[in-house]
Amino acid sequence: MKLNRISFLLALLYVPACLFGQALNPATILHPPKDTWPTYNGDYSGKRFSQLTQINSTNVKDLKLAWEYQAETGDSNPFGTEIKATPLQVNGVLYFTLPDHVWAIDARTGHQIWHYKWKSQGGIHIGNRGVGIYNNWLFFETPDDHLVSLEKDTGKFRWAVQIADLAQEYFSTAAPLVIGNHILVGVGGDSLDVPGFLEARDPETGAVQWHWDTEPKPGQPGSETWPNTDAMGHGGGMTWISGTYDPELNLIYWGTGNPNPVHAGQGRKGSNLWTCSIVALNPDTGKMAWYYQVSPHDTHDYDAVQTPVLFDGVIDGHKRKLLAQASRNGYFFVLDRTNGKHIVTAPYIDLTWSKGTDANGAPIPNPDKEPKPDGALVSPASGGGTNWPPPSFDPETGLFYVNADYSFSVFYLTDTSAHPEGFAGRDAGIWSQSMLKAIDYKTGRIRWSHKYRVEEGSEGSGVLTTAGKLVFSGDPAGNLIAFEAATGKILWHAGLASSVSNGPITYELDGRQYLIVAGGPTIYAFTLPE
Amino acid sequence: MMRKFLGIGAPPDPAAVDRGQKLFVANCAFCHGSTANGGATGPDLVRSVVVLHDQGTGKDIGQVVLNGRPDKGMPKFNMTEAQIKDIAAFLLSRTQAAANRGSYEIQNIVTGDAKAGETYFNAHCSSCHSPSGDLAHIAAKYDPVALQSRFLYPRDRRAFGTEGPPPNPKSEITVKVTLASGQSYEGRLDHIDDFSVALVEPSGEYHSWLLDAEKGIKVEVHNPLQAHADMLPEYTNADMHNILAYLEKLK
Repeated sequence: MKLNRISFLLALLYVPACLFGQALNPATILHPPKDTWPTYNGDYSGKRFSQLTQINSTNVKDLKLAWEYQAETGDSNPFGTEIKATPLQVNGVLYFTLPDHVWAIDARTGHQIWHYKWKSQGGIHIGNRGVGIYNNWLFFETPDDHLVSLEKDTGKFRWAVQIADLAQEYFSTAAPLVIGNHILVGVGGDSLDVPGFLEARDPETGAVQWHWDTEPKPGQPGSETWPNTDAMGHGGGMTWISGTYDPELNLIYWGTGNPNPVHAGQGRKGSNLWTCSIVALNPDTGKMAWYYQVSPHDTHDYDAVQTPVLFDGVIDGHKRKLLAQASRNGYFFVLDRTNGKHIVTAPYIDLTWSKGTDANGAPIPNPDKEPKPDGALVSPASGGGTNWPPPSFDPETGLFYVNADYSFSVFYLTDTSAHPEGFAGRDAGIWSQSMLKAIDYKTGRIRWSHKYRVEEGSEGSGVLTTAGKLVFSGDPAGNLIAFEAATGKILWHAGLASSVSNGPITYELDGRQYLIVAGGPTIYAFTLPE
Repeated sequence: MMRKFLGIGAPPDPAAVDRGQKLFVANCAFCHGSTANGGATGPDLVRSVVVLHDQGTGKDIGQVVLNGRPDKGMPKFNMTEAQIKDIAAFLLSRTQAAANRGSYEIQNIVTGDAKAGETYFNAHCSSCHSPSGDLAHIAAKYDPVALQSRFLYPRDRRAFGTEGPPPNPKSEITVKVTLASGQSYEGRLDHIDDFSVALVEPSGEYHSWLLDAEKGIKVEVHNPLQAHADMLPEYTNADMHNILAYLEKLK
């Protein structure tokens, strides 16, 4: 009997040892192996470019569905069930989210390993962009403003810490970004004019390591861009999309959201730093190295959270460390990421809100196009030239790919008081046309553009590029499409039940390259036939 | 629905809000303003962290009301628990009104010059539309905001969080599909993307094609609204307001 009991115990110990994957050492994210997708953008650069070539322009026509997994939440979300998360893939397991929910599924088969549900106290359930993983621990944010940590192998709850105040209408959607022993958490919320911030949290305890405020404090540099302390303290500037990181410079790059009140500028005259900006911060201290504001004094909800994509390129014969953003305001920007110096500004869609650009390449807002009590007709619409879906940069073609909308809204100012509050306005969407654009980073010129032959625009799909000379993305009609990267020629497509609702990813396991996308509540995996 | 999207809780009891408003105006408005947005000496309470945490219960607000804030010059108020709860309900209604952008009222938008609008209409719109024909009584069918959206692009578009106007059969997109054989089909466009097209013939018969599988297929889409899309970059705000002012005369 005694022996039996010992062997039973051994068996108990043995089974978990088999099931449990290896820890994800944060150093791995610096140089991700091809059999993993260990962070929101796949690596720290935000390029979403994979070196994998098994699936390529010559054989992509043979791509087949390998498996699919449908996420069941068991609860009803007024926004529907749309997976906006970029899955992480670590040790053959895919991790993805919906608001309040996390799943782990087998990356080879799509079989569910575990599902975790957070008991919510409320908040806006518009979406969740995914998880961060540090060693054996997983982190995600919730609509009611908690950073929750689970054991990645079992989904077992470790702890949760509050990261923002739900009562003030903050809500959280971002995928935590792991850099060394920092968990970077961004926040959202612009219903009641709360200030934006970014924090680094301790992976062991969730404690705050540093806190960076989107707005300066009275008397600090930048405070001169606000009329008073009250406006500055209610200035918005959310940090709801994961940033990028250059380990050599030891700088993180983050886009900040629009100022508040969203549509009323009369109570916050000035450029409103550091809203609608790209900021470079030290990941160990949160100290700002430089900033570049892409929309001074925004009144159209054009937040600048879109991924600041990092790559090295040649400008005027010189090798440069670059950063590019296709911003929601319809402009494409290229900066020197060592110092934030401006290199290129060019509109990637026709837009009407600005009068052009200043000497530093920053757009000059046209006061005629600011929201008016009787309406101002403006392109792009409040959803922007692009929104949160991640773009991609292919270093082999030198092209930056982004799903774009040419669109118009009428913007109405509803609160004309000297002290406006909340959104203070609303907009009526009029018309939009969706397209995929390939932008030459050196000039900002459009190399090719594919106008989707679909009536309605949409929030758009993320983009993935690969060394197989391919661009993967989705159209508003529910097609997953492979384009030839250099020309925009369509090489393959698959009709999904819903439009691609996240950023596609790819990885190789057991010698097979997988393409993973989400469409609505479903994760789809595609491979070449064996 | 909008409250649900925005995660806004249940509205407070309207009777309590009403009582609370009267109390607030009588006791608090001198410093905080009659709408609680702040006044000459008192801070804005609509975005106050204390008020937001109170959530209409009176618990957090009561502390401040009963004890005052001597350091900031706010006196104590002698109020009953019920009175404080009513004030809390009023303040909750104010914060919810600010947070619920779906409830914001758009002000008067009929500000343009109808005469100038008529001139613009005659120059740009009258080849398709007539004030005594298809547009007769148009202003009686739509409120000004819906009418402004509809003349810009007459489709079932709407302001976020509001009910849209009903679709207009006149704005139907049609398509003509001609096969390599020369046989052709025409009807209402049901679906189109880069890979397929589907239509419904006037008889009600439905046809669809995969473009890859149908060599030589020709697809001609006719969107009667295309001119509206083409005009969007052309309008100044004044043009837009003048046209609306003119259309508003067509009651």
